Amino acid sequence: METPTKYNLLLLWPLAGAIAVLAWWLFHDPSRHFERSVPGMDERPDSSTLQEEVVIGEHFQQFSTDYTPLTESWPRFRGADFDNISKSGIKLQSGFGSPGPKIAWTKELGEGHAGAAIYQGAVYVLDYDEPIRADMLRCFELKTGKELWRRWYTINLKRNHGMSRTIPAVSEKYILSVGPMGHAMCLDRASGDLLWGMDIARDYDSEIPFWYTGQCPLLAGEEAILATGGKALLIGVDCSSGEVLWETPNEGGWKMSHASVMPFEFRGVKMYVYSAVGGVAGIAAEGPRKGSILWQTGEWNHQVVAPSPVCMPDGRIFLSAGYGAGSMLLQLQEKEGAFQVAVLTEYATKDGLASEQQTPIYYDGYLYGILPKDAGALRNEFVCVHPDNIQKIVWSSGKANRFGLGPYMLADNKFFILDDHAVLTIVKPSKTRYEPVSQVQLFEGFDAWAPFALADGYLILRDSRQMMCIDLRA
Amino acid sequence: MANNSSCNRRDFLESSIRLTLALAVGGVGGLAISKAATDDWVWQIDPFACTQCGRCADECVLSPSAVKCVHAFDLCGYCDLCGGYFIPGANALNTGAENMLCPTSAIQRKYIEDPYFEYVIDEGLCIGCAKCVKGCSAFGNGSLHLQIKQDLCVNCNECAIARLCPSDAIKRAPASDPYLIKGGFMEN
Repeated sequence: METPTKYNLLLLWPLAGAIAVLAWWLFHDPSRHFERSVPGMDERPDSSTLQEEVVIGEHFQQFSTDYTPLTESWPRFRGADFDNISKSGIKLQSGFGSPGPKIAWTKELGEGHAGAAIYQGAVYVLDYDEPIRADMLRCFELKTGKELWRRWYTINLKRNHGMSRTIPAVSEKYILSVGPMGHAMCLDRASGDLLWGMDIARDYDSEIPFWYTGQCPLLAGEEAILATGGKALLIGVDCSSGEVLWETPNEGGWKMSHASVMPFEFRGVKMYVYSAVGGVAGIAAEGPRKGSILWQTGEWNHQVVAPSPVCMPDGRIFLSAGYGAGSMLLQLQEKEGAFQVAVLTEYATKDGLASEQQTPIYYDGYLYGILPKDAGALRNEFVCVHPDNIQKIVWSSGKANRFGLGPYMLADNKFFILDDHAVLTIVKPSKTRYEPVSQVQLFEGFDAWAPFALADGYLILRDSRQMMCIDLRA
Repeated sequence: MANNSSCNRRDFLESSIRLTLALAVGGVGGLAISKAATDDWVWQIDPFACTQCGRCADECVLSPSAVKCVHAFDLCGYCDLCGGYFIPGANALNTGAENMLCPTSAIQRKYIEDPYFEYVIDEGLCIGCAKCVKGCSAFGNGSLHLQIKQDLCVNCNECAIARLCPSDAIKRAPASDPYLIKGGFMEN
């Protein structure tokens, strides 16, 4: 007969084994070989790179003073009324037929997406001249493309999805441009003489947005309106002297975005609406409160904001941004001179009207735009929505008609749409269905993203390397 | 009188055997040459047809999947804000795990010079989930894309992923040219 001690010993072995397994389970770290992903592993330098000393507008060259003045203008980003709708009475072609539209002229430009402004027969483009490494404001004759003059300043830029981005603002007296690194330059329109320059990033501690500045500047009478971010949100500058007349406080530390400042009048009050990185605000544009914030909200806060706010007469404001941000619809209200803003709806890119780069068009009570690439089944389609239900697509162009990041505008009761590869499409405005009219491949384009400019029947468009003027007159 | 030039039975049998052997050797040789000369076929992903549905990570018979992300550097914009690396609305553009789109940290981000960053795929960590490909396609140049790695793929007769691919992006490619890398391979 075996002794109880022997039994106890036999029981001890499994117990010891169990304890060993438990100890292993407790102390074994299956993640011991893992490497933690922490900030700094990309070896980004702590300090920013040294700022280059730029002498804004230091060089000038005149080629000719002889050009044919015309009557119409497209003086800024989105045209005279900021709505991207031409009010010209000139009849435009309804179809391209054969041999296609009449090409008035083409110009090779530095790589970029800067569009043109037109003022009474002259075209103004802020180009980047790659061989001499300079932001170069160039003036061409609209009818022929003959270069009249150029003013430039040297600045070293690297390719960053192109270099140039912005459209100058032009008035009878002034031309105002903002370069890729935030250099504002104001010239006398007639002569091209330099009036003043401003290094926005240096003077206002602004952060230049990813892929360089996309903000198109604004001229309001004798004032240049610039969104700086940093030490101020917006500033007003006297066009003739360069003196800063007013600064909008930026207590939230909002940053400059790619969006442009949009003038808006609501309940008789003129304001500037700006969609910054950090939030959106309305800034008084006149009176004793000029430059002060009338309303603001930080509910709209995204890293990359390119489309400008679309302000509708009833106080609704449509906002959209790319990189998965989606869209938001605000309702502005006024009571006894005080403004309040409320979020009506916010949704993901695939759930309604959205835009990554271009600003949608509000026309006859409806909104029209091209959806981004991350909009699911409707990606890159041209769509129509009603602001009452901005998430319900009234119609879309269909999967056989996808466009991209290119521009679109309305002129002579026709939508003109350019896709990434320079295919120009005419679409009839409709509230019920997509009605394509004509389409033509203008050239083998690449990244044809710059907004259009149209005056006197001449349409200016471009891809990353080439600018083209089309005579669209019927 | 018998004709000497006529074939006797022995000679006939010997000739027949020689001919049969020659045909057999020739046939086997021909088949071997034919086999060597004919290309095999392997499975590959057409990056222009891929819709980044994520099934490649789960449906492959291998675990982790033989599908990996590859990077066409000549198409990349080397952006600071990379749609393939960062989640939308990332807190900060750095290498903190909370900002990354990749669930396995398989993309290495390195500063090159202002404003450029390089993104390199660690194939050993990549599970082929296509999250980065989706981000890169939606917001960037589409330089990140999926490919079936031929050193991992067991080349099933019927590819388990191909059966379920919603966009029929998985196709047969010649074994001698088994990859459809963006940049060199163009969309039809």
